[in-house]
Amino acid sequence: MPAEHALTVLVAEDSAVDRLLLAQIVRRQGHHVFTAENGEQAVALFAEQRPQLVLLDALMPVMDGFEAARQIKALAGEALVPIIFLTSLSEEDALVRCLEAGGDDFMAKPYSAVILAAKIRAMDRLRRLQATVLEQRDQITRHHHHLLNEQRVAKAVFDKVAHSGCITAPNIRYLQSPYALFNGDLLLAAFTPAGDMHVLLGDFTGHGLPAAVGAMPLAEVFYGMTAKGYGLAQMLREMNAKLKRILPVDMFCCALLLNLSVQRGAVEVWNGGMPDGYRLSADGEVLGRLRSRHLPLGILAPERFDDSTEVLPMAAGERLLLLSDGVVDTADEHERLFGVERLREVLAANRDPAQLFDEVMQALARFGGSPRDDISLCDIRMFSGEDRVPAPTLYSDSGRSSPLDWALAFELRGESLKRFNPVPYLVQLLQEIHGLRPRTGALHNVLSELFSNALEHGVLGLDSQLKRDVQGFADYYEERARRLAALADGFVRIDLKVEPSGPGGRLTIEVRDSGAGFDVQRVLSRPSVEQELSGRGLHLVRRLGSHAEWCEGGRCARVRFDW
Amino acid sequence: MAVETDFSQDGKKLTIKVKGRFDFGKHQEFRDAYERQKYKPDSVVVDLKEATYLDSSALGMLLLLRDHAGGDDSDVRVVHANSDVRKILAISNFEKLFDIS
Amino acid sequence: MTDMHIDHKVLSDLQEVMEDGYLQLLDTFLEDSEQRLNQLHEAKSADELGMAAHSFKGSSSNMGAVGLSRLCQQLEERVKERPLYGIEDLINRIDQEYLEVKGFYRSERERVSAS
Repeated sequence: MPAEHALTVLVAEDSAVDRLLLAQIVRRQGHHVFTAENGEQAVALFAEQRPQLVLLDALMPVMDGFEAARQIKALAGEALVPIIFLTSLSEEDALVRCLEAGGDDFMAKPYSAVILAAKIRAMDRLRRLQATVLEQRDQITRHHHHLLNEQRVAKAVFDKVAHSGCITAPNIRYLQSPYALFNGDLLLAAFTPAGDMHVLLGDFTGHGLPAAVGAMPLAEVFYGMTAKGYGLAQMLREMNAKLKRILPVDMFCCALLLNLSVQRGAVEVWNGGMPDGYRLSADGEVLGRLRSRHLPLGILAPERFDDSTEVLPMAAGERLLLLSDGVVDTADEHERLFGVERLREVLAANRDPAQLFDEVMQALARFGGSPRDDISLCDIRMFSGEDRVPAPTLYSDSGRSSPLDWALAFELRGESLKRFNPVPYLVQLLQEIHGLRPRTGALHNVLSELFSNALEHGVLGLDSQLKRDVQGFADYYEERARRLAALADGFVRIDLKVEPSGPGGRLTIEVRDSGAGFDVQRVLSRPSVEQELSGRGLHLVRRLGSHAEWCEGGRCARVRFDW
Repeated sequence: MAVETDFSQDGKKLTIKVKGRFDFGKHQEFRDAYERQKYKPDSVVVDLKEATYLDSSALGMLLLLRDHAGGDDSDVRVVHANSDVRKILAISNFEKLFDIS
Repeated sequence: MTDMHIDHKVLSDLQEVMEDGYLQLLDTFLEDSEQRLNQLHEAKSADELGMAAHSFKGSSSNMGAVGLSRLCQQLEERVKERPLYGIEDLINRIDQEYLEVKGFYRSERERVSAS
């Protein structure tokens, strides 16, 4: 009967008669046979020929079968080389010895060709099974190392992206557990040209590579647009559209985006899917929550995306505490969650802001359970006007002389007013003028202030007196959103004129609106403190430009910059 | 079975019931539940009465289902969610996409 | 008489398996058996005796010499008990049995080489 697979078989048997017979039986079954007369020869032949199956007599001179079996198994290593003991030992002990010595089966004498063929076939199946297992294990190991390496590279790139910006600014404290970054937790911070600070705490679905891949385009938009002075609404639209475009349907990014403006004494918030952030007083009292009101980024198509933000007053010294869901979702061994209540207890008990993170981590540790590897905590203090803010530089031209004699008019009407903020574009344009570059921050502030005045107080007719307290703040911005949505006509027009003047030049900015105007004299005569928070920021504008005046009954603001 | 499906008498409503933890482990089963049907239903109901827990991959799976069922034109409802599950859905504001009760 | 001594089925299977090697096998057995008998007679210890009997038992059973094989098994078991009574007797009976079957294997050998 021919064998399915021809094997190389080693026959070790000291009796010449038995050896002859057995070798012949095995050969007839289609295998190649080597023979040995004793255990020592058997081991040597095994090492040399590496047969796939061994038939071993138990009692042999020089080295018996048991010892030979042990040595052969050692030589075989991981691979399975079946050993069939040949024996006419009838006692159970002896048979047990065979198996303990590493034998896989035994054959009794007198030999039966039929039984031997069956045993060889069965042993060969096992042998091939083992070989398959080892091969697959090696394949898996190779793939695994490959994956680990890819992740390592992705993490390195991710770290560079996720860690630029101003995360080291003095008013930000943060804590991220070692694997948080690579678990999709993103913490970005950057200053705008006007000196405001944008902060993003994000959490991508998935971990590792998928999270890293989504985070990079997001970070790029964040840093790019912040540096150019774009507002949150435009940035959010851009980020959402980008993620919607590039991410698969089931991937999205929960995000909490902030704009801290020390000029305005306010923080603008957008929270889509992140746990509540907390607004704290300087000594840690909870003043309010930053709640999730939106779907996470990357889910809604651009036309359905809601970019509306909440604006809350925030005085110097007040703080915001942001956290990822790793804190609240830490579970103990009974699957109970740490939860929002326990967190609030920690906040209520906290006396020293510098200790807050430690107290939170200690509370988590005391709670028990397994610590999560994706905990991000961020504590942001509203900085005061004295905090020095670095001016971002984005110039990439060759430094040739700039155009110095031109004028530009930009008029936004009706629908365009609802969604479009022209200030970043205009500031970029003005950066073409080298002499103005050191004043980029001021330019941005002035243009933003004048534009928002023209829009809110001029076109929409909002009364800035509303912004006296917290509730007033909220009401003001809700009303703003309402009136803007209902807007049908109206316009804001910005005129820029640049002309040479001596060695330098002069920029004249005029901002006009279609509103009713205001009593310039009366507003200007109010004390300046009152004005900063709820006025038209007129003193600010006067301070930043070379000359500022209002004409046409308050409907036109004119500011000059000289250099 | 951790994910069960059921068609209404007229074949227009597909109910998908998820039991236990609704997480990434259920991914293939959940997809098969709506992809492998012969007839496209007019509405889909996801019954979470026996679901104990929901994570972000489950949210992703719901988005895939919604996309498959027609995106903005779909009619997908999530019913019988317990309070923990509802909290998770609420934080992500998923009631803006799904009818949740 | 050959019935008690030789299992003919085993032998015919043997011939079928061995094909052209049958002759060599018979020769090897005859030669091997002489050596085994010497070992039995010259054994200096119970263990040596036991091992020789064990080996002879194996080869004779493979060759279908059932009587011989049985006697060798008895001897193998007997040498494990002390004192060693009746060992000589057993060895003699083995000699006798072998003489009986030797003739048969020789004629078998003649038969095969003739055809």
